[in-house]
Amino acid sequence: MRRILPLLFCVPLLCAASGAARAESVSVPVLVPLTGFLSLEGTSQRNGALLALKNPPAGITADAPVIDTGTSPEAAVTALERAAGGPVTAVVASMLGTQMLAMLPLAAEYKLPLVTVSGTASITEQSNPWVFRFFPGDAVTKEAHARYVVEELGKKRPALIYQTTAYGQSGKAHLETAFKRLGAELVFEEGVDPAAKDLLPVLTKALAAKPDVLVLHLHSAPTALFVRQAAASGIPVPIVAGSAMHQPSTAALLEPAELKGVCAETAASPISGGSPEVEAFTAAYRAAFNAEPDAFALGQYDGTRMVLDAVKAGARSAEDVRKALSTGTHQGLAMTYTSDGKGNMAHSAVIVCYDGASRVPAIVKRYDNITGVVK
Amino acid sequence: MTTLQLLVNGLALGAAYALVALGFVLVLNATSAVNFAQGDLVTAGGLLAVALAPLIPLPGIALLPVVLVIMAALGLLLALAAYLPLRRSPPVAVFISTIAVGIILQNGASVLFGPEPRAAPPLLSGGTVDLGGLVVAEQSLAIIAVAGLLIAGQQWLFARTQVGRRLRATAQDPEMARACGVPVTAMILVTFALGTAYAGAAGLLLANRYFVTPTAGGDLILKAYIAVTIGGWGSVPGAVVGALLIALFEVGVSSVLSYPVALGLLYAALLVILLARPQGLFGEAARRRA
Repeated sequence: MRRILPLLFCVPLLCAASGAARAESVSVPVLVPLTGFLSLEGTSQRNGALLALKNPPAGITADAPVIDTGTSPEAAVTALERAAGGPVTAVVASMLGTQMLAMLPLAAEYKLPLVTVSGTASITEQSNPWVFRFFPGDAVTKEAHARYVVEELGKKRPALIYQTTAYGQSGKAHLETAFKRLGAELVFEEGVDPAAKDLLPVLTKALAAKPDVLVLHLHSAPTALFVRQAAASGIPVPIVAGSAMHQPSTAALLEPAELKGVCAETAASPISGGSPEVEAFTAAYRAAFNAEPDAFALGQYDGTRMVLDAVKAGARSAEDVRKALSTGTHQGLAMTYTSDGKGNMAHSAVIVCYDGASRVPAIVKRYDNITGVVK
Repeated sequence: MTTLQLLVNGLALGAAYALVALGFVLVLNATSAVNFAQGDLVTAGGLLAVALAPLIPLPGIALLPVVLVIMAALGLLLALAAYLPLRRSPPVAVFISTIAVGIILQNGASVLFGPEPRAAPPLLSGGTVDLGGLVVAEQSLAIIAVAGLLIAGQQWLFARTQVGRRLRATAQDPEMARACGVPVTAMILVTFALGTAYAGAAGLLLANRYFVTPTAGGDLILKAYIAVTIGGWGSVPGAVVGALLIALFEVGVSSVLSYPVALGLLYAALLVILLARPQGLFGEAARRRA
């Protein structure tokens, strides 16, 4: 008995000691669209999340199973159900709005925080406390877009060319309201199907309305096609494009000379640098994925990092992480994130411009603390 | 001048669409099966040109023969894997197998090339030419010329060679052709190779000016289907004319109204043609539509 008693005391002590030394383990499934029409942006989202999860704060190990959600809401829901089968700290959730809307009720049921870079406004309008968006919505980016055109360039007669998709319609609605409030009259506006091959017709009609600036809200390939055709036509009117223009893969489709004078709004432009931390992120991203990072990658990196920091600070359950995201502030690489009470964490946007000599834009204007001015 | 520029752009787009539709109708005639992978084969041709460009740092015109040969081989594989095993099954089995091939090509391209849009090298230098004040992209003129040559080559092959005659016999009546000693299975393989090579050529032509993404094929198969319906189901000249009409219609109407209206009117025109002249403009063959 004398020999056993000390052991009875020692075993719990040993357990405690080994527990202190063991790293805190978290599981953050990455459920993003890697195939289908949003695969370009979905891949950036995945890469940003994985970069954060593979380099967690000291004392934390992260498990990050990746599931392709494709483009259907059903696939996203199935992926979330699969992921929820194990112990999950938080979920990196699809940037596709329709998938997010389908996942939200399930996230509330399973009590899982969804960390996303989806731009769809309605995902944070469902009174669902489990969603956190680390990318500025159109209410923020289009406000910056319009303000740069009117306040910085002094343009009052913009022509707006937008995509006919849900993405395009949302941006168009916000730009219309913003321009009206800023006293600029839209002299031309037209929707373009993403499958349109020749954009010279819409360019010709826009120029016939005698605008003083061309405002684009198009996807990646149509943006490049429009800029190329505008450059070939030698038009004297400046172009201020939507966030698709800032993506390095869009600029790669064009010659630097074709980009001269073109500007674009975006949440961030990691390849433009700006701080040693952003440059380190860009270098690590290039090394890990042999690709150029964009704002989606950086936004998702920041969001995932905020989750990991919450765990580092003591969050042990999904509910703890939700509380930390809801009430905390995170100094990310792109901006400072804080919830507006609905899960909108990002409230800043930047304007980047190309000088015609390279495909790397420079950040020319930063807009902070924009909170849903435009509805 | 702008009208002329739009006309050249429309013709260039129509010439590339014509190659897509031509490959589609050749397979349709030889097998009575709709090849729903045709659009994704165009994408494959474009991405192949993108992949070859660093290996053969020459203008796109030098890549064209390589693309044609590799795509023809892919066409043979397509026939062996997705058509021949199902040739005696109901037609819907072939539709589904070609849809499956299209999805495999799409996702395979996403894995191999990534999801971002890519640009193939221009056929020549990629600059512009001034034709009496009319500034036209050199690529547009090159697309028209190359597509014209390829279409003329197909016409020559079918009209002037023994292989062409056998291909036509197979397309018109496979059972009678077999009874006459024509190697029908071999001719079907040649047709798939030819149709896929044309899809690859269209991909190379389109991928410089209009870029290429792994998911771009869906829209192209729709355009080919409409072109063949308008031109006349099974009519080779009809497919070419139908494709040109679609492109000119798109560019023309969108320059006056808008692209969404142009698309709407295109489908409305298709409905009118189906009601008023179901055999299409050329009405060469009365076949059952898929």
